[in-house]
Amino acid sequence: MNANHEADEFERRAAGVLRASATCLDGATRARLARARAAALSPVARRRGWLEFRYLAPAGAVTAAVLATVLLFGPGRPVKPVNDTSGSALYDMELLSDADAFDIAQESDLEFIEWAAAQGEQTGKGG
Amino acid sequence: MALPYCEGLLLSAPKDEIRRELNRFLAEVEGKAFRMARIALRHDDDALDAVQDAMLQLARRYATRPAAEWRPLFYRILENRVRDLQRRRMVRSKVMALLPWRRDDGEETPDPVAEAPDHAPGPVEQAEGMGVLAALESALARLPPRQREAFLLRNMEGLDVAQTAAAMGCSDGSVKTHYFRAVQALKEQLGEFWT
Repeated sequence: MNANHEADEFERRAAGVLRASATCLDGATRARLARARAAALSPVARRRGWLEFRYLAPAGAVTAAVLATVLLFGPGRPVKPVNDTSGSALYDMELLSDADAFDIAQESDLEFIEWAAAQGEQTGKGG
Repeated sequence: MALPYCEGLLLSAPKDEIRRELNRFLAEVEGKAFRMARIALRHDDDALDAVQDAMLQLARRYATRPAAEWRPLFYRILENRVRDLQRRRMVRSKVMALLPWRRDDGEETPDPVAEAPDHAPGPVEQAEGMGVLAALESALARLPPRQREAFLLRNMEGLDVAQTAAAMGCSDGSVKTHYFRAVQALKEQLGEFWT
């Protein structure tokens, strides 16, 4: 066997029988093993991993592109809300900077506002 | 020119040279690998499939590793492949047992490993008195897988303890234990043939 172990008679005999059996294979098995070896060492077999990558990489890119398109333009994309006030930002700024306008805007008694405005006009004409 | 074992990485060696060296290595181990796989699987075709897969994996993944590592790597791949095939057989037998037309027939589901064809020794084996081989292979097939693996790697392939441990993915101590128990079990089984 080897230096690690002192083989006894049984082990030496078993080793002899087993090694002989490995060298006395029938022709058909030997031929199949030789074909298997040739296939394992052929450049085609060795390049298979690269071939797989060559086809998988573009397929992955196409899938990612389709997915991105569906996410961006598909039916599930978010719809602008009806009460969108994003376009009235300037108006909001004017409202906040004018304290009177803000108070009026917060006032719910529109009849009083109209009356107060009419009184003001009349006072102006009279005065 | 043959590349010496225990050299560094073979990355710098030309591809053709690596291929020649790998071919030489595989030609050297294929017969023993086939015998090992066949003892475990008890089926010629399955054993050949296992050896071919191991060859492919070694050539694809580990060809550029140091040549000294090929042997334990190859046998580790081979043993994994053998185990995969054995598991597949087990799953197949369980699935077959669940099929209704198999469940109600009142008969025990046959073990696919036991049912696997076990071809008679070839003419060369018979001519060389391989009845002893048949008895040894039969005794080896009855061993627990790890004991059988340790025995075949150490005894037939001639790996040392460290190489066997690398091939089996276990410690040196485990290899020694498995090997010792395998020898004891084989001696008990084969006493009448070998004394």
